[in-house]
Amino acid sequence: MRILLVEDDEITAELIVHGLGSFAHDVVHVATGSEAIRAVDDGDRYDVAVVDRLLPDVDGITVLRHWRANGVHLPALMLTALGTVADRVRGLEGGADDYLVKPFALSELHARLAALQRRPMLGDLPTQFEAGDLRIDLLARRVRRAGREVHLKPREFDLLALMMRHAGKEITRKMFLESVWGITFDPSTNIVDSHISRLRAKLNHGFADNPIETLHGVGYRLRVNG
Amino acid sequence: MARLFRSSAYRLAFLYSALFALAVLALGIGVFFAVHANFRREQDRTLQPEAARVLREYTEGGIPDLSRSIRKREARPNNNFSYAVITRDGRHLVGSTRLAQIGPGLHSAMVSRRGGPLQPARVLGTLLSDGSMLYVIVDSEELDRLENQLLALFGGGFFLVVLMASAGALLLVGHLKRRLERIVVTAQAIRDGNFGQRVAIGSDDDEFDRVDRALNAMLDRIDELVTNLRQVSSDVAHDMRTPLYRLRGEIEAGLNAPHDSAAQHRALQRALERSDALLTLFSAILRIAEVEGQSSTDFDGGIDLAALVTASCDMHVPAIEDGGRALHLSLDHDVRVAGNRELLTQAISNLLDNAQSHTPVGTVIAVAVEDGELDACIIVADNGPGVAEEDRPRIAQRFVRLHQGRSDPGHGLGLNLVATIARAHGGSLRIEDNRPGLRVTIVLPKLRDDRAVIESSQLL
Repeated sequence: MRILLVEDDEITAELIVHGLGSFAHDVVHVATGSEAIRAVDDGDRYDVAVVDRLLPDVDGITVLRHWRANGVHLPALMLTALGTVADRVRGLEGGADDYLVKPFALSELHARLAALQRRPMLGDLPTQFEAGDLRIDLLARRVRRAGREVHLKPREFDLLALMMRHAGKEITRKMFLESVWGITFDPSTNIVDSHISRLRAKLNHGFADNPIETLHGVGYRLRVNG
Repeated sequence: MARLFRSSAYRLAFLYSALFALAVLALGIGVFFAVHANFRREQDRTLQPEAARVLREYTEGGIPDLSRSIRKREARPNNNFSYAVITRDGRHLVGSTRLAQIGPGLHSAMVSRRGGPLQPARVLGTLLSDGSMLYVIVDSEELDRLENQLLALFGGGFFLVVLMASAGALLLVGHLKRRLERIVVTAQAIRDGNFGQRVAIGSDDDEFDRVDRALNAMLDRIDELVTNLRQVSSDVAHDMRTPLYRLRGEIEAGLNAPHDSAAQHRALQRALERSDALLTLFSAILRIAEVEGQSSTDFDGGIDLAALVTASCDMHVPAIEDGGRALHLSLDHDVRVAGNRELLTQAISNLLDNAQSHTPVGTVIAVAVEDGELDACIIVADNGPGVAEEDRPRIAQRFVRLHQGRSDPGHGLGLNLVATIARAHGGSLRIEDNRPGLRVTIVLPKLRDDRAVIESSQLL
């Protein structure tokens, strides 16, 4: 994955470049907003952009607005120290596809970038997904495993839907909390794990293998091939 | 004087009195002229019939009859009129009154009666058939005296009005200055560091008292925030030392074992955990600061508490059951409050976190929404060991952990955040004995009339 990183803080940038590099990603780092605008205008191809909100010249939201106004649909994750709900809304309205508050774990950033890269363009959102012997229909809200219907509670369905949309990619606990429950705080009891274990029990009933992989300290991943 | 006019109170007061005096002056002048014209008309009206009566004598008996009639009339005791007949060559034929020769019709003229000095009078002149003039005269002296009296009365009245208006203006200005001075004195005292100073409030409940009360309420709020901020800074400094010291210890341990990679890995792992704990602590502090600065204008109009509590409990039930505890839910429906959904969810979530982490396996956690007359209550109660009475008021304070030690998870901010969220919603947090166990209640002000709220929000 080719990543454009727009970050003015040298140490943070170095950590991200080094960290994402170890996942075999190609990270191009620029330190200012104007460089970021130029980098994309020059026709360089990127899969995803990580943009810091506060930059010395042109701020991150302006960079995103510029891209969007010029028809650049590069998926972008906004990075910021400002974490209030109002800040998030402003960032997402400014054209960011996701929003991550500093400080963050590198694994969190990596998982979110992977999810962004696979995000389909607006307008042709598929409503059915397949992974291994699992099938999910988002409109009928129906799940089948190897043709057999699995009855899930609404939240369990949402958890599975999120993993199936990003099958093969890791989903962090924070991503589950934001997407399924719509909360940006982190409850100290492990809500996600308990819900996943129930989901797992229902999916695996009568099957030998387990399609949901636990990634310790990070989150979960749905196996693509059974 | 220049200094006086720099005071806008003085300027306003004097402008007001000047306008008032001007209005009184205009009224006086208007009344004077109206009275004057009216008197003159009344006087003129008496002249016409008198002249006609005298003229009849002339037409019946000529000059001799006229002279006789005039003398008779002038001799009457209550006669206001005097008379004169002047020939074409200027001789006074009849009467003791002297005046200059003037044409027919009504005139104001100066006349002298019985050799006396010239005085103003109204004169009606009539041309007789022999070419001489008959004058009937009425004295203006009476009228002038009346008018002079009127003028004097008005002058005195005007002076009194100006005097009273000025005195009133000075009193008003004095009052304004005294009331404003109280605010200035308070502001200066606060600037000089006396943060407890407040504006002295009068007993009248007038506009000034309301302004003063509003100012005092604002000062109280600012004072509370400043005190809070100071408290947080010192709390943070205190509470941060220990984890930072431990983090430093882990790193040192790693460095001290240069050839033992397993020990180094262990040290790094622990250092990572410690930094994560520190970051969580920081997030919690920032979250509390964010909630404290929350403005109620961002609030959601009508949150259905039963639905919100059900959703929050659904989120926690699997984890609670996995931990070997049970959750019971009892809901009053159609209870609505204004607030922030995520914050209320977090408050409930924190209470459920606490009810799990501080109770033994087998504990029953009871969550309820209760509809009160004015307030709505969200209650999270458990039948665990509870909290000693003397500790109960303390546990919602910042960084208070009852069992300091490794086994006790959390940073001592969870309940404080719940209290902060309750306060941000205009409510409060109650911590009570559940006999046995702990009972925590979030009291929120209820929306009284759903329809009124919907209508007013539509108007906006």
